[in-house]
Parts: sequence; C-alpha cells; structure tokens
Amino acid sequence: MVSFELLFPLSVLAGFIGAMSGMGGGIILIPALTFMGVDIKHAIAISILSVIATSSGSASAYVRDHITNLKVGMFLEMFTIVGALVGARITVFSSPAPLYITFGAVLLGSWAALLFAGHKTWRAAGVQDGFTRWLELEGSYPDQALGETISYKARRAYLGAPAMFGAGIIAGLLGIGAGAVKVLIHDLIMGLPPKVSTTTSNLIIGVTALAGTSVYLAAGLINPGFAAPVILGVVVGAFLGTRVLVRLSNQSVRIFFLVILLVLAVQMIARGLQGI
Amino acid sequence: MDALVGYILQDGVLLSMGLIAAGLFWVWLRTGRLAINYNIAGMNLFEFVTQEIHLAVHGAVRPRLLVNLGIAVLMLTPFVRVAASVVYFMAVLRNWKYTFFTAVVLAVLTYSLFLR
Repeated sequence: MVSFELLFPLSVLAGFIGAMSGMGGGIILIPALTFMGVDIKHAIAISILSVIATSSGSASAYVRDHITNLKVGMFLEMFTIVGALVGARITVFSSPAPLYITFGAVLLGSWAALLFAGHKTWRAAGVQDGFTRWLELEGSYPDQALGETISYKARRAYLGAPAMFGAGIIAGLLGIGAGAVKVLIHDLIMGLPPKVSTTTSNLIIGVTALAGTSVYLAAGLINPGFAAPVILGVVVGAFLGTRVLVRLSNQSVRIFFLVILLVLAVQMIARGLQGI
Repeated sequence: MDALVGYILQDGVLLSMGLIAAGLFWVWLRTGRLAINYNIAGMNLFEFVTQEIHLAVHGAVRPRLLVNLGIAVLMLTPFVRVAASVVYFMAVLRNWKYTFFTAVVLAVLTYSLFLR
C-alpha cells in the first residue's frame, strides 16, 4: 500500500521538476506513481486532478499581470475541452499496455523537442487572416524583461483550433497538461509571443484538466486518499520549482531533463511492451 | 476581468489546498497516521457535492469530508472562472461573440460535470 510518507515527497519532487522544466508535473508524476505500484489509470486520474491545481495557481499570477490573452484562451478552450473528454473516455476503456506505450511516446516527443529546441526570436506576424481578426485575437502586454509594451496579432486560428482539439485529446488521455504541445501551437501556428503563449496555455490547461477529471470521477477512478497528498505535494513542489528556476544555468537544467525524459520514456515503453 | 479571473483561480486553489490539508491534519490527529484510503464511487461532481453537503448537515463530519470538499472546490475553480467570464463578457463588455464562446465552454463543462 502506498503511503502518504512516500506520496507527498514524491509529488513535491515531481512538481518541482515539472515547474523547473516547464513541462508540468504530470510528465514526471505519472511514471513515478506507476513505479510505486499505482495503477496507471488511477495515476492518470490523480495527475489530471493535480494539474487543475498547478495550472490555476500559476495562471492566476500571469492573468493579473495582464500577459495572458483571455480571448485566445477562451476561444481555444472550446476545442481542448472536447478533446479532453474524448481522450479521457478512451483511457477509461483502454487496457493499460497501450497507455504505457503512448505515454512513453509522448515523453520521447518531449525529449526530442527539448533536444532540438532552437532559439527563434519572435517577430510580429505580418498579415492577420480574416477569421482570426473577426475573433478579435490580438492584444498587447507589458514585457518586463524588455521594458516595453509589445503588441501582437494572432493568426491562423482556423488551424490552431483543430490542433488544440488534438492537444486536448492528449491531455485527457494521459492525464497531463500537454502544455508543451499547446505552447507549440500558440507559438508556431498562431504566432503569439512566447510569454503570451505560455501564460495563455496555462489558463487553458486548467479548464481542459477539469473536463478530463470529470470523466475519471464518473468512472470512479479518483482515490482521494492518494490524491490528497499528491495535490498538496505537487503544488508545493511547483511553487518551489518556480523560485529555483531563475538561479540555475540553462545548460545544466537542459541536460538534466534530457536524461530524465529519456530514461522515463524508455521505461514506460518497455513496460508497455512487456504487458507490464 | 483579468484581476477577477486571477483572484478566482488563486483563491480557489488556496481554499482547496487548505481544506485538503485540514482534512489530512485531522486524520493525523485522529489516527496518528497520514493515510486515508477510499475511492469516490463513480459519480459526477454535482452528486458528489450534494452528497457531501448532505453529510455535513446531518453531522457526519469526518476528515474525509474536508478532503472531499477540497477536491470539489478544486474542480469548481476553473468552472467558476468560466462562469464569471460569461457574465463579464455579457454584462460588462457586451461582447456577444465571446459571451457565446465562453457559454459554449461552460455548457460543455456543465455536461461533463453531470456525466455518470
């Protein structure tokens, strides 16, 4: 039986790593829980519940700083939440092995994305298409680092929306925030500045996680005895992680995560292939 | 609206964490161990909340009540946030497009919260 004494510190660690890497707690938490013997579906359910906490917590600060674009968030939420309902439903009816393999694949994808992360400077997009303009998806925000207010216009909402549906499926299916996917969509497809991408993604993640959690709750997969220490731990860990983040060098952090992601990915896929 | 959304999110998370921590603390006081183990039988959030309130009113106050309430508050936080946005777009900003979009989100969330 898994005990609080183990769950809490483990969750703090997962939240800490998740916040530092910007990958969110779920990516680390779910493999960690399964290694401790928690069934993967229960782990996914607990994780997605905790994602509501971590994302809402961080989103609250960014929203108040006026960096988050609420309209972009609310428009895209329509698509992510339906995706999350679909994804969670699939997981409830799936057998464990494919879940392990899919999770491992997503970990590998995150690893590859981190490995090949280039440094693209954001430039204001040239033309905004009619649909996106009708959606009023533009804004400006005060950028503290640059010391000025940046204006931007989003674009290609007609691509961003279906892509977010896909991101929602991943989030609901695997109990993660899928923040990385969402940020990519905001950044590459819709041309939002990086800070707006990440903060808006945070906002969307919370609502998406709620949709997924509802499905798991209805399926009876939520064990509050496990969930309670995990939620507390992950939030505490994330809080600490964001504080520490500023002090570490980028290179050492990056190498650390590349190693962890690869190890976890291989483990999850191997377990899936062995039929656990 | 930014400030309102921000405060709803933050307060919701803090309240939920407070309830959960209080519930766990109570368990620890009672049993000397920090372990509760039970599953919430498959039900939706609406049933869950009404059941908890019913128990509370009838005096069956146990630590797990606090933990359950904490989880319910956590789940309701994004919900309340979206509901507030609908009202804000409609009543304050009079932006009908976004009233519609946020209402769609609220409708889907409400549907999901009533799933069984």
